[in-house]
Amino acid sequence: MNSISFSRVSVRVAVDGSDTPKTLLHDFSLDLVERRIGVIGANGSGKSTLLRLLNGLVQPGGGTVVVHGDDTVTAVRRVRSNVGFVFTDPLSQLVMPTGREDVELSLRRSIKNSKERAARAEAVLGRFGLLDLADQSIYELSGGERQLLALAAVLAVNPKVLVLDEPSTLLDLRNRELLRRTVAGLDQQVIMSTHDLDLALDMDRVLVVESGRIVFDGDAAAGVARYRALCAAALDELPMGKAPQ
Amino acid sequence: MRGHGFLIANYVPGNSLVHRTPLWPKFLVVAACGAASFLIVDWIISLLVFAVMCGLFLLSGAGLRRLIRAIWLVAPIVLVIGLFQWWQLGGPTAARIVLNVLVCVVAASVLTATTPVQDLLDGVVALAKPFRPLGADPERFALTIAVMLRSIPFIAGAFSDVRDSARARGLERNPRALVLPVFITTVAYARQTGDALAARGLGEPDDAASGN
Repeated sequence: MNSISFSRVSVRVAVDGSDTPKTLLHDFSLDLVERRIGVIGANGSGKSTLLRLLNGLVQPGGGTVVVHGDDTVTAVRRVRSNVGFVFTDPLSQLVMPTGREDVELSLRRSIKNSKERAARAEAVLGRFGLLDLADQSIYELSGGERQLLALAAVLAVNPKVLVLDEPSTLLDLRNRELLRRTVAGLDQQVIMSTHDLDLALDMDRVLVVESGRIVFDGDAAAGVARYRALCAAALDELPMGKAPQ
Repeated sequence: MRGHGFLIANYVPGNSLVHRTPLWPKFLVVAACGAASFLIVDWIISLLVFAVMCGLFLLSGAGLRRLIRAIWLVAPIVLVIGLFQWWQLGGPTAARIVLNVLVCVVAASVLTATTPVQDLLDGVVALAKPFRPLGADPERFALTIAVMLRSIPFIAGAFSDVRDSARARGLERNPRALVLPVFITTVAYARQTGDALAARGLGEPDDAASGN
């Protein structure tokens, strides 16, 4: 029950001016039971589409995705309450002007009493060391603080699974390390796409995605090595001597 | 994107008389100011109401700087309106119209500066509850207000960023170089916000209405 299962899943989208849909993810099956799972691959390879399948933001064109016993098509509401999703850019995720208000917004559905909600938000912000920043405008926070706040707002409702879509892309070294330590300390099952190979090496299992196919599924060190090899091969094919057109 | 202001003040924590006043009287004052702008015909009365609202704002402890900022942000618009009305209808009418607009802005700022956003949203939910039998979801009403409050400064910020980019490329006089990127940024923001809300399960039907 405590696993994520992809069964013969594929994702296709219609393309303007073409009768043939474009395949974003080719037919694949997977069972994810590890606590820390990394997804790596080039830009446009299908990593985000794979992650978005996990909470129903993308619906499979074929096959089924079942998260902890719930189908992402027929039980999408329950899936979303169990799967927290953190986007690359926290500014597109934080809806309210301040951190405290955003965390309280997350809790509105589960806690109707405003005092109880405020107390719970205080506790969540305290857990992430964000109390001093809780009443500041989200625009006044650094990228790392915003990302941590987005994480706190998602974790406030205590999801079973946490999905992070390239969470360190906009962060500097210090904030990346802060995010890495925070994620390492979480109880949730974490599935994360990243271009940060050091972060990928922390994972229990790594999937390498290339052109909509999962070309590697195994331990982190071998996955990172495979990805590096793919990148090197792709670079070798470039006409490096030519000036850009 | 850098920080951007909004024409009404953000919540300022405090324990003033205005802070302790329940939401509904404050909301009624804002509504009354809006209605009064159609009824008041003497600019001196408008000036008095404006002074009272400014007094309430300062009494809340939100500070003169925030008050000036709230007025400053709408100054270009009211200046244009005022000059046009002065030219068309004379000084007293122009003064009345400008002052009535400022009364509404300051009254709304008193409400938002002294009421936490969550309390405002709870108020919207309470207002929308009678419409539940007609299929309305009160939490969605509240979420819509929250997203609106968040989106206006974002769009203002996008315009500011795009204007700087256009200046850097020497295109500041080209309206297409300003409007088109702001439009595209705004649409992208709307899509991202929609995804983020869906991912957080916000804006979905109430438990009672949901089959899940």
